[in-house]
Amino acid sequence: MISRRILMMTAGAFAFTPSLALAQDAPAPFDNPGDVTVALVRYLSTGDFFQSYLAGVEAQAAALGVNLRVFDSRQDAALQADMVDQAIALGVDGIIIQHGLTESMQDAAQRAVDAGIKVVAFDVNVENAAVPQIEQSDRDLARLALEQAITDNGEAFMAGYVYVPGIAPLDRRDETWREFKARYEGINEVSQFGTLDNPIANSVANQARAVFSANPGIEVVFAPYNEFAKGVMIAAQEAGVADNINIYSADISTADIAMMREPNSPWAATAATNPAVVGEVSVRALALLLAGEDPGEQVVVPPTLITRDMLNDGNITNMEELGEKIPAFLHADVALADWIALPSR
Amino acid sequence: MSVQTRLIDLAIRFGFLLLMAGLLVFFSISAPGFLSPHSAVFVFQSVAITGILALGVTATLVVGGFDLSIGAVATSALMLSAYVMVVWELSAGVAIALCLLMGAGVGLVNGLLIVKARVPDLLATLGMMFLLIGLQRIPTEGRSISTGMTLPDGTVARGTFSELFLMLGRHRIDFFIERLIPLSVIFLLVVALLVWVFLEFTRHGRLMYAIGSNAQAAQLAGVKVERYKIAAYMISGTLASFGGVLLAARLGRGDVASGTNLLLDAVAAALIGFAVLGAGKPNAFGTAIGALFVGVLLQGMTMMNAPYYTQDFIKGAVLVVALVFTFAFTARGSRGA
Repeated sequence: MISRRILMMTAGAFAFTPSLALAQDAPAPFDNPGDVTVALVRYLSTGDFFQSYLAGVEAQAAALGVNLRVFDSRQDAALQADMVDQAIALGVDGIIIQHGLTESMQDAAQRAVDAGIKVVAFDVNVENAAVPQIEQSDRDLARLALEQAITDNGEAFMAGYVYVPGIAPLDRRDETWREFKARYEGINEVSQFGTLDNPIANSVANQARAVFSANPGIEVVFAPYNEFAKGVMIAAQEAGVADNINIYSADISTADIAMMREPNSPWAATAATNPAVVGEVSVRALALLLAGEDPGEQVVVPPTLITRDMLNDGNITNMEELGEKIPAFLHADVALADWIALPSR
Repeated sequence: MSVQTRLIDLAIRFGFLLLMAGLLVFFSISAPGFLSPHSAVFVFQSVAITGILALGVTATLVVGGFDLSIGAVATSALMLSAYVMVVWELSAGVAIALCLLMGAGVGLVNGLLIVKARVPDLLATLGMMFLLIGLQRIPTEGRSISTGMTLPDGTVARGTFSELFLMLGRHRIDFFIERLIPLSVIFLLVVALLVWVFLEFTRHGRLMYAIGSNAQAAQLAGVKVERYKIAAYMISGTLASFGGVLLAARLGRGDVASGTNLLLDAVAAALIGFAVLGAGKPNAFGTAIGALFVGVLLQGMTMMNAPYYTQDFIKGAVLVVALVFTFAFTARGSRGA
């Protein structure tokens, strides 16, 4: 009898072994993840992209078993800096800075680093060697979309371009657009427009309508932000030129998928990184840093090209299905380690 | 009346319309494609939504009030209509009815806050604006609404915008040219006409002007000031929610948006309207012209590839000139008379 009890106990202990082993294998401080607190300090939070990013951060933090504190400054640069100080005062172990202005975040990030806190920054350059940059590569986003535009339309076409200067990701996408214009002399940009007046799609639609009537020959519109692309598509349909125009954009959401899949949709392709994956990578990069490993100065999350045909062929209707059908979209092989559990799908 | 004062009088009355005619000529010459029926219709379409909002705010301006919540009401109606159709899978009729009720309800609360709770109008409607911007995001946890979206409880929304609803923003009526005039433009014209007739030619409208110029005197003359003020906010709220419905029909989805730009554009149109025909007071005709004026400017400038910040600059300049027309010249004219 006794031997049987011992056997059972052994079996029980054995059953627990994998998780125990995992926790023991994890380097400090993740051998005791419940004691680790990380803070997410946000500058931008409104909209699908940022909502999805937060979901990714939450999922990866939960998979690691660490505590997450979210600070949301709602586009108030000064408040965001205060929030970093607040997080320092709370004694968090790591901070993720999500967007913001270099001017206001540079000093705040330095204060956190000085306090011995590990910091990573997503889409804001805090000009600090100790702070790895998480990036969705905007240049790659633009390049993928534009290469598709060249494949679909040839090397010479009349183009419209939607751009608002002064927004860091749009500025980086703009660099790639200018490179392409220099490389392919046949690209004739007849109009540049754009606005961030919200609702953005509505305001851009108003502008695009005017552009289409002024330039009836436009074949390609490069609208490297999904709200821009929506606006251009609405205008193209209203102006009755949807059949003659192809729109190439960046970013994607469930609503965008529906628009791209409308019959005769002019929205040909978009290049996107999954914001949830970017959120997960942000947490993993911070975890590596906390464990004393080096995630690298720049952690780039590679984008995926998504075309109208891919969506139609796979009968994809929302972001979840996009992840299932196009695995590259669901996971990025960056900032990985054996001891980091990935969020369950 | 001397020749000089008569000239000033003419300038005040027709200056703005002349300026607009001048703009039209200028753009026709310098922007190819500007002078076409499609382009003209488009100017109307681009201002249809802000124009309807502006007519609502005009009603509150007439009673000496102000409604800062119209932009938020419009975007709340945008989200509500999408929610009703996409998540609850109800019909277009229900969606429109609920939106209009919501708008009227918000107007009623605004009116009660101002009249009964004696909160100053700017503050009451400012509070309402923030409240609505937050409220409209609570059901979806801040996400935009579209078919196929995953709801907070993990289920997938399968409803769609009905064709009937989308028609409100997209259908175009044959008018000499096939499929020329969008329904939203017809709505703008009808609403403008109704508000104009109501304010200028009905007893109620004149009483509202009387309240606006001197509420106490109107009260002493036996006007039910409180009721008219509440009514003005309800008109404003209802028209704003109607604008939101048209916006939803155009976008075909429930976009998260604060509506601040809608508010600012609508207020600008209403204020420019003060200067039209030298009215010197809020009026429906002026508001409609004001909205069109801004629409013509933006359309023409976009066709000439002017960047967005110059457009904001010009919009602001027009507003300042209009306000000077209204307050400096009109006031001087009345003093002189």
